Amino acid sequence: MREFLKSTRFKVLMSFLAFLVGIMIYAVTKGGYSVSGVSFINTLTKPVRKVSNGISMRFERGLDKFRNADEYYEENQQLKSQLGEMNKKLTNYDALVAENEELKKFVSIKEEHSDYVLSVPCDVMGFVTNDPFHSFTIDKGSEDGILPNCPVVTAEGLVGITIEVSKHVSTVRTILSPDLSIAAVCSSSNADSGIIEGGVVPAEENMTQLIHVSPSHKLKSGDLMITSGTSGMFPKDYPIGTVESIGYDSNGLSVTARIKPCTDITRLTSVIVITDFSGKREDKK
Amino acid sequence: MRLRTTREQRILRIKVILRWFLYYVLIFLSFVFMTSGTWLKPLLLIPIPIFISIDNDQYGSVFTGALCGFLIDISCGKLFGYNAVLLTIFCIATSVLFELYLKNKFFNFLLISAAAAFIQCWLDYKFYYEMWEYEDVGRVFRRVSLRVWLYTVISSAGLRSILSLLKVMNTKGDMKIINVSEKVMSVFEVTSFTDILDISQK
Repeated sequence: MREFLKSTRFKVLMSFLAFLVGIMIYAVTKGGYSVSGVSFINTLTKPVRKVSNGISMRFERGLDKFRNADEYYEENQQLKSQLGEMNKKLTNYDALVAENEELKKFVSIKEEHSDYVLSVPCDVMGFVTNDPFHSFTIDKGSEDGILPNCPVVTAEGLVGITIEVSKHVSTVRTILSPDLSIAAVCSSSNADSGIIEGGVVPAEENMTQLIHVSPSHKLKSGDLMITSGTSGMFPKDYPIGTVESIGYDSNGLSVTARIKPCTDITRLTSVIVITDFSGKREDKK
Repeated sequence: MRLRTTREQRILRIKVILRWFLYYVLIFLSFVFMTSGTWLKPLLLIPIPIFISIDNDQYGSVFTGALCGFLIDISCGKLFGYNAVLLTIFCIATSVLFELYLKNKFFNFLLISAAAAFIQCWLDYKFYYEMWEYEDVGRVFRRVSLRVWLYTVISSAGLRSILSLLKVMNTKGDMKIINVSEKVMSVFEVTSFTDILDISQK
């Protein structure tokens, strides 16, 4: 052992290790952009990863049908009873009008935002390995005009934000992550606000949560939460998710709500990146 | 006699190159597997460099360890270089341990792989989750880190069999090209492959 520690071989290996530590420190200073090695590997493996991810997702979905057959049966029964209830509601004119109004609001969110500069549609290449918050990579990068900290959306709602961008590939942090905080407001009342921030437990069920809600809130299950746009990182009035349940946090001091994202993040196949919008914070441009 | 030795050396060199090529093909396939789908997956890129560093050239195995580390960083979205440093240390330690104290046995490999995978999963949990004090963060360790560790240990047993086959092919097997047509034979002659490989015509 002593001989090994004194040998040239040991010195060479330690120098190599120091070189790797240097790379790691250099990567920290890149501020959201990948080092060139990452770009190279990402570009090189992009086609294979896309194909293998497609196969894997198809396989997982197929297996999922067998594994969760009982669950789907129960869900089907539940949906049938819900459908019956909905049919009853449809006979009620007032309910129909209210529902129509809500849908109008949802549609108007898209119509009102002609100021968005959107990327071309991006395919989801794959999900970050073993990430409990389902971060994923998309097949567009800085050459397509994508920058770090750009909002990532689908037509249904907000998905997350770009955190690391290389030439042809970007990594997206989702709204299920506790590292992403978004100021949100209830679309119907426009008064009940809070912060959308993921958590370990909600992420297990593909949910996120609304924290710092006022104790005098008027939130109810089914309310749509939209971005408030105050931070300048996200465009105003973009749908995030609907309120599933309301309760107190683990301390029992403040109100939190479980939010079901408008988009099923684990089933994503393509997204769009908003590269610019009015009200975007200058230092994020 | 001298000529035969040189030829044997050349064949040995080709076999070594072929073995390393197959190692890298396996590494590439493992990377692709790790980046596909949404389920929890074993970190295949930990046991592979550990196996390689047991009885291969130390510089080569340490370089392979660093490369596998970089690939883990990309697939798991970690700081570029973080896993490269970890795997380089694991490879150096494995190489020294097996050179000085341990025999190349299945149990020893499994033990070292399990230890390395556990350290990686534990550090990953400490640095990327626990340090940031998320609520209920212990669940990540129980439901993600430990499962990934278990999957990695189980899959490392299977990987050892595959990697051992590659090695057996190199040490015990022999490489011959037979029933070569005239046209192909002329290509081998022009490229001087007939001096290196055992080639027989139809």
